[in-house]
Amino acid sequence: MRVRTRGYWLYLIPSILLFLAVIVVPFLMNVGASFTRWSGVGTPRWIGFDNYTRLLTDERFWESFQHNVGLIVAMAVVPTMIGLVLAASLFDYIGKRFGTRTASALRAMYYLPQVLPVAVAGVVWGWMLHPSYGAVNQIFGLDLDWLGDPDLALATVMGVMVWFQLGYPVVIFMAGLQRVDPSYYEAAEIDGASWWRKFWHITIPQIRPEIFVVLLTCTIAALKVFGPIFVLTRGGPGNATMVPSYFSYLNFFQKSNVGYGSAIATVLALIIVVVTFLFLRVQERES
Amino acid sequence: MVRLRGAAVLAAAALALSACGSGGDSGTPSPAGTEPRVLKLWHYETADSAMGKAWAEAIKKFEASHPNVTVKFEEKGFEQIQKTASMVLNSDEAPDIMEYNKGNATAGLLSKQGLLADLSEEAAKRGWDKLLPGGLQTTAKYDDRGVMGSGKWFGVPNYGEFVMVYYNKDLFEKHKVEVPATFEEFTAALDTFVKAGVTPIANAGAEYPAQQIFYQLALTKAQKPWLEAFQSYKGKVDFRGPEFTYGADTFADWVKKGYIAKNSAGLKAEDMGVAFMNGKFPIMISGSWWYGRFASEIKNFEWGHFLFPGATMSPGSSGNLWVVPEKSENKDLAYDFIDITMSKEIQNLLGNSGGVPVAADPAAITDAKSKELIESFNKLTSADGLAFYPDWPAPGYYDVMVAGVQELINGSKTSAEVLDGLAGPYEDNLADLGN
Repeated sequence: MRVRTRGYWLYLIPSILLFLAVIVVPFLMNVGASFTRWSGVGTPRWIGFDNYTRLLTDERFWESFQHNVGLIVAMAVVPTMIGLVLAASLFDYIGKRFGTRTASALRAMYYLPQVLPVAVAGVVWGWMLHPSYGAVNQIFGLDLDWLGDPDLALATVMGVMVWFQLGYPVVIFMAGLQRVDPSYYEAAEIDGASWWRKFWHITIPQIRPEIFVVLLTCTIAALKVFGPIFVLTRGGPGNATMVPSYFSYLNFFQKSNVGYGSAIATVLALIIVVVTFLFLRVQERES
Repeated sequence: MVRLRGAAVLAAAALALSACGSGGDSGTPSPAGTEPRVLKLWHYETADSAMGKAWAEAIKKFEASHPNVTVKFEEKGFEQIQKTASMVLNSDEAPDIMEYNKGNATAGLLSKQGLLADLSEEAAKRGWDKLLPGGLQTTAKYDDRGVMGSGKWFGVPNYGEFVMVYYNKDLFEKHKVEVPATFEEFTAALDTFVKAGVTPIANAGAEYPAQQIFYQLALTKAQKPWLEAFQSYKGKVDFRGPEFTYGADTFADWVKKGYIAKNSAGLKAEDMGVAFMNGKFPIMISGSWWYGRFASEIKNFEWGHFLFPGATMSPGSSGNLWVVPEKSENKDLAYDFIDITMSKEIQNLLGNSGGVPVAADPAAITDAKSKELIESFNKLTSADGLAFYPDWPAPGYYDVMVAGVQELINGSKTSAEVLDGLAGPYEDNLADLGN
């Protein structure tokens, strides 16, 4: 038995080499760069933990993490909640009343923003939210500077991200619902359970693994969000929508401060690893 | 009297241009052997801009005079080159010649990193040093710390640019506003528009325009030593001093008074330009890079320009630079190409397309609008009034400036707090200088 297992190790070599080349080595190089003062060219100068101690007192960095909390709500929590209700409605009501084709068409429509390149979506939202000629102000008769007002900008970006993310949980949850044993619902219906009680006591517990996957992947996406911020606000106005990945990018490419940018990226990567680990632990315990 | 003064300005412009143009055609490009070769060229000028038209013609001229050489041109984006230049130039993928942004934080940084070829010898041999007046050479030379103004030649600019006040003549006429000659007349004109319910100045806070207005206001109180301290680190800059304080206070005041829209913090430069072109604002304070586009796209109203009243200095400088990467294997071809962009034929084309040439033949500039533009530029340079741009002193300062001025527009911070925010990264860079 031991001999046979040893033989399989050969098949792991390509994956291990790929993992080393694509993940481990670049990550270690990034960690190495974070201990240096380096402009990206020439010889890096070793400065120990200076970049990290600087991070600890950098208000802009911590402020950017606070914005991340908002984006986790917008990209993970809210789409998961709305996505659950939508998926269950499409599955239970629309699918049964109007046919599965209608439900599938609606599911595809919710998913459309996920297919759009983020740059395209960002530019179009930029037009719609334009304070002078934007459709949003025109339709609602408002005069708001959605992306230019520091009190509104983060909430506006959050709103756009809810729209952007919503299709993903809907698709995953609808796939999850396919595998739920219909006899649970039939039994509940015989007992006279309302839609809400079935949703609460059957749907949610049954697709809990999917909910975990969606929450985990969306939280990671929120922590490393870059594209929408780049296209919509570039971290502004002021620093009202600054996030760590954009802050890291600014240091890498705008300030040629590769060492500090690497330290930000390292801390961000570690936080993502910790969050993932915690999620998986909780999921393991639940299952 | 006015006609006499006009004639004098024209004569000065002509003299400046003819002085500039004396050596443009002197260096005949060498055919550089007979072996097939490729010159890899990158620039980021759009095809319909003055520079885009001139460089396209330069490529044709170069290929005609170098029959064995093919020019492999790649159009890049400004940001694309800006963000990746040092890494690209440090790799084997570097072009042989590239357009690059000028200033300490850009070309200066690359020169300090040893990524750019020293062009001093070529500049002297081919006469580029004589074609460019002193003020325009500032951005071509960098010292060992990457600070502009002295040291070796690391780039060659062949056009100029400056910030001016564009105005909608029809709206000025409608509201009976005269072209202002003084700062007081300018603010009076702004008041007239506000009273008529018109926001006078088109603005964009998410990109460079707003910070240039703020800087222009600071420049109305600034003298040369202050400028040299700020841009070339030749002295200490007090961010709470009278220049920046006036700039920040006045900018915030202009927003309060309605000269600048309160909802302009999130807008981009393109929004501003398009709004002006659509006749929504009577005034736009921005650079000569809009000139050619306005000339070809504004059809519904008459427009003109004037230098910012009450200031002897305005944001402006040489145009972007041709730089030759140290790793280029075709440096000789790159130098020949630069020479061609300095030739009268190309410079005249640049001038007649709405650009500001540095070595054109004055008699060959036949377009009336182009003549007006060149006259203003000559007026500014003859007063040594090119004050560069506010984001030049430190790498990454552009975003710092954007954030600061957005806070002024929104009133989310006081002028003093904004100025402290600008001072921090500037001081950090000073501490890093030469490292």
